[in-house]
Amino acid sequence: MKVLIIEDEAGLREVIQQSLEKEKYIVETAHDYISGFDKLGTYDYDCILIDIMLPHGNGLDLLREIKKQKKQSAVIIISAKDAVDDKVEGLNLGADDYLSKPFHLSELHARIKSAIRRNNHNGDNLIVWKNITLSPEQRTVSIDDKELILNRKEFDLLYYFIINPNRLINKTAIAEYVWGDHTDQADNLDFVYSQIKNLRKKLKDSNAEIDIQAVYGIGYKMS
Amino acid sequence: MKLQNYTLRYLAITLLLVIPIWAGVFYAHILDEVHDNIDDDLKNSKIMIMRHVFTDKKILNSPEFGINKFTIKPLPKGNYSHKDKLYTSSEFMEYDNEDEPIRVLKTIFNDDNGNPYELIIKASIVEEDDLLADLFLSLIVLYIMLVITILAVNHLLLKKIWKSFHTILENIKEIKLGTGSKLKPINSPIDEFNVLANEVETMLNRNETIYSSQKQFIENASHELQTPLAISINKLELFAENATLSEEQMMEIGKITDTLNRLTRLNKSLLMLSKIENQQYPEEEDINFNKLSSILTEDYSDLADFKKVKITIIENDTLHFSMNKGLAIALISNLLKNALIHNHPQGFVNFTINKSDISISNSGSNSPLNSELIFNRFYRRTTTNESTGLGLPLVKSIIANYSITIEYLFNEKHTFKINFPKK
Repeated sequence: MKVLIIEDEAGLREVIQQSLEKEKYIVETAHDYISGFDKLGTYDYDCILIDIMLPHGNGLDLLREIKKQKKQSAVIIISAKDAVDDKVEGLNLGADDYLSKPFHLSELHARIKSAIRRNNHNGDNLIVWKNITLSPEQRTVSIDDKELILNRKEFDLLYYFIINPNRLINKTAIAEYVWGDHTDQADNLDFVYSQIKNLRKKLKDSNAEIDIQAVYGIGYKMS
Repeated sequence: MKLQNYTLRYLAITLLLVIPIWAGVFYAHILDEVHDNIDDDLKNSKIMIMRHVFTDKKILNSPEFGINKFTIKPLPKGNYSHKDKLYTSSEFMEYDNEDEPIRVLKTIFNDDNGNPYELIIKASIVEEDDLLADLFLSLIVLYIMLVITILAVNHLLLKKIWKSFHTILENIKEIKLGTGSKLKPINSPIDEFNVLANEVETMLNRNETIYSSQKQFIENASHELQTPLAISINKLELFAENATLSEEQMMEIGKITDTLNRLTRLNKSLLMLSKIENQQYPEEEDINFNKLSSILTEDYSDLADFKKVKITIIENDTLHFSMNKGLAIALISNLLKNALIHNHPQGFVNFTINKSDISISNSGSNSPLNSELIFNRFYRRTTTNESTGLGLPLVKSIIANYSITIEYLFNEKHTFKINFPKK
């Protein structure tokens, strides 16, 4: 899987690159509009991350270029500007997703994975982890081919873990993913904990080979 | 009190004082002049009669006060003063059937034989009481007419003159900083108003510039903070993942991440706040607040269960209002979140939806909040680290965009009541 990051902030570019390389992605980077444009013309990518505000040009123009060249890449816009207009325009131009800064790395991974998955129309879209099979479209989970009934939030929770295996996931990232901006930060730890406890129990009861560990002070890690 | 009525009130009172004084002076003058005239007439008559007496002795025996209006009475010989005596007296008049005032001239003269005679000449004069009554009536009529005239002039003329002033007032009333509202032009024949209008416009433009640059600054600052925040959070995440750290070290990293997350929230709220104030949520649609409330309560049900708080929606009516959907969600969810957070286990949150208002009440602390301060930015009653202090200010700036009002009430429970403008 090849990913191109077009981002002018060196710090952010590096940290995203490192994080993606940990997931065995092949990562290329570009630091401005011109270098981004060059890279686009030379290679094909599975996913392209584009910052809107770039030196020497606008990320949305790069997006137009990608669509003009009929590239199959999934495109995710990352922007410091959480402006509705930019978001709407980006999505209208054919971007697969829009992520506003700052974000958690686990959230970025989740977005990249689902963007790539949605982009590959062919093939099966099931996500498999050990004896757990999860269908994001059907929103079903089966363990050893036996269906496990989860409610919407439990499913989201499990999906977020499975799409971020072996990664340290911040509890705030989990809370934001599953419950939106609706939780209270003060209670995040206890709140997320009590929800995960329920999920763990259900998974354990159906003999899922999954281990969700609490990492004290930060969040969780699934392995 | 309006300017027109205000001036009219003072004019009416002043006239009420001035007119009687003027009337008194006028009356005295007129009366004086009338008496003077009559006295002259009486003196003239006296000269004529006396001249007559010398040529025609007959009139010395004229009957007492016939149609002649004079009488001559012989006096015993003696030394008399020949001075004229003038006085006012009264006499019964058959025609009027009452006593009428008369002016009397009394004098003594000697005929050519040196016999003294008393001559009394009478003339009827104005009836003072009648005159006074007439004058009084006329004055009342004059007063009323003056007041009516002033009222009419005030109403017509002043209204015309002050029209531009009222336009200026309306302009000022409608000024909403940050909306780029334009002033209606005034074209007054009065210089002062033109100057005033110009000054108001200059002031508005100056304020508008300051205001928008301030807002722009907050928005830009918030934007610029996003990337460094992203770098810090992501670097820490990667660091915690890669390094082999002790539990204590992980705890510390967790705390730093939490702080950065808090900063992110704060920044996002600030950004949203300045966007609302910059009117960057122009799209509006019809929002069914009954539906919205039940969706949001559903969203928050996990948190509510976790906090052991029971949420109830009481729908007395259906509330529709046209506004931005994102802002409607932010409005209700901020209030709902507050109601859940500042609550206690086994507490409650009640939504009451009426035709044009929603009340969200919750159990919580036993003392009321300071309704003067709770809508201020960064006001926090408790020094909790987790609150951004921007929740209610967000609510306030959202409602300010739609002329919705909010009030805080406390009676055993805390209630926020949102009143939507009636259609």
